[in-house]
Amino acid sequence: MQDGTSARQEIALRIDGRGRRPDSVRLRRLNILVGALSLPLFVGLWELVSRSGAVNMVLFPPPTVVAAAVLEWMRSGQFFGDLLASLFRVTAGFIVGGALGVLLGILTGQFPVISSLLSPLFHILRPIPPIAFVPIVILWFGLSEAGKLFLVVWGVFFTVWLSTHIGVQKVDRGLIRAALMLGTPRRQMLQEIVLLGALPYIVVGLRTAVSISFYTLVAAELAGTFAGIVYRIEIAQQNLQTGQVMGGLAALGLISFLADRLFAALAERTVWWR
Amino acid sequence: MKPALASSPASVEPARKQPAIQVSNLSIVFDSNRRQIIAVDRLSFDVAPGEFVCIAGPSGCGKSTMLNTIAGLEVPFEGDILVEGSRVYSPRPDVGMVFQQPHLFPWKSVRRNIAHGPRMLGKSTTEANAIADDLIAMVGLKRFADAYPNTLSGGMQQRVAIARALANRPRVLLMDEPFGALDAQTRAVMQDNLLELRDRIKATIVFVTHDIDEAIVLADRVLIMSAGPGRVLREVAVKLPRPRSNSIMVEPTYLALKKDCLDVIRAEGLRAFNQSDAS
Repeated sequence: MQDGTSARQEIALRIDGRGRRPDSVRLRRLNILVGALSLPLFVGLWELVSRSGAVNMVLFPPPTVVAAAVLEWMRSGQFFGDLLASLFRVTAGFIVGGALGVLLGILTGQFPVISSLLSPLFHILRPIPPIAFVPIVILWFGLSEAGKLFLVVWGVFFTVWLSTHIGVQKVDRGLIRAALMLGTPRRQMLQEIVLLGALPYIVVGLRTAVSISFYTLVAAELAGTFAGIVYRIEIAQQNLQTGQVMGGLAALGLISFLADRLFAALAERTVWWR
Repeated sequence: MKPALASSPASVEPARKQPAIQVSNLSIVFDSNRRQIIAVDRLSFDVAPGEFVCIAGPSGCGKSTMLNTIAGLEVPFEGDILVEGSRVYSPRPDVGMVFQQPHLFPWKSVRRNIAHGPRMLGKSTTEANAIADDLIAMVGLKRFADAYPNTLSGGMQQRVAIARALANRPRVLLMDEPFGALDAQTRAVMQDNLLELRDRIKATIVFVTHDIDEAIVLADRVLIMSAGPGRVLREVAVKLPRPRSNSIMVEPTYLALKKDCLDVIRAEGLRAFNQSDAS
């Protein structure tokens, strides 16, 4: 792979030396330019359409109005309270659900008896969308934080459990045989061979769970609360503050995007041998 | 027991009669799609301490299965397997194994891969690393001690796998077509390396291969196995001088030995072919 690219670069350099620019370079520059213009272009178009009078400006406010609403949200001090509340739910739910998922995934993946006991139950519960649990969560927990946490944990757990379970089962049998021949006891087999062998799968499961934790956050906050980004969106909707609604959506998108990127960077370091 | 192991194979004292490996009446039967497949049929052979035995035979003759059984990895079998005088039920640290694939732990550096065995047997990390560094020097990979397996070539990976199997100082080293996946040139180099290593480690070696040249170059004795249910067809003593290298492959004595082996294999191949044609 590496040799291939360096050879290609060498060819490109040689052509450059003769004073001609290869098409691939020109094409790449064009792509970068178009990519850089993409967002400003659509934001500009949005502004124009909103202000043209073709649509109702109250329901479809232009970006400048959205920006003003976001600034106001921040100045009022509510934004950071909302952000903290939402981030706490997502992070706590992710950590608890992820930890449970990894733990039980290793147990069911490694020990057939535990798998026979738990897997049927998990496979029945797993396909039920977490949002469908909102009514019963309100009955059980009322509007407390415990209910919100429960929903996020529920959403995260099954994804992480399943990917860990599969990861453990897919650990190369050859590695296990090699480890057995070297006298590896049970405990070390689990820690040094099975867990690390399953790690790439676990990381993928956890990354999927990052976005799932945001989906379930929406359900959790719509179920009724007193602070949070989705809660703010709902309040703004009831007051017909469409700018604030869109600002909330943008904030949610940005946070979820950053969380995913952060996790991707972290994941790269976790699977250090690749 | 120790002095017998340390002595060279040519001069095994007659007084020390106990073989390093004793396989008697070994049968291995597989259940596959409700059909019983006999992988190995009443196989018996001994390996003397310090001896280098190659087991040659066509693919599917059960030679790998048999090796796994000696290693303690294949559980259900009939008959008896004694290694160093005691029965084999499960993998044991005095028996080392090198597989066809290196099966290195991808998340461990070369040093930590080799140090794994000694650590599992209770050595401290420092001791284990010292053992690993000795072996790394022995297989000529000093520059790669901290490298991860995926950055090494196939031949280098297999050298690490051999060093890793030797780290627990096994009395018996089992090798299952370890060079089968390598190109011809690398394989020749690896054979020479193994011959050199072997003079230093003094372990009993059982080496499975389907390459008759490889078998003769390496072994003191070649067991040629039949296809279908595996049996020993012929035993060929290789009395070529040691130290040896790959270059003996042009000597007349070597060629005569090879012709003997090939005749046996050809006759067996024909028999198996006619049999499958008839059934």
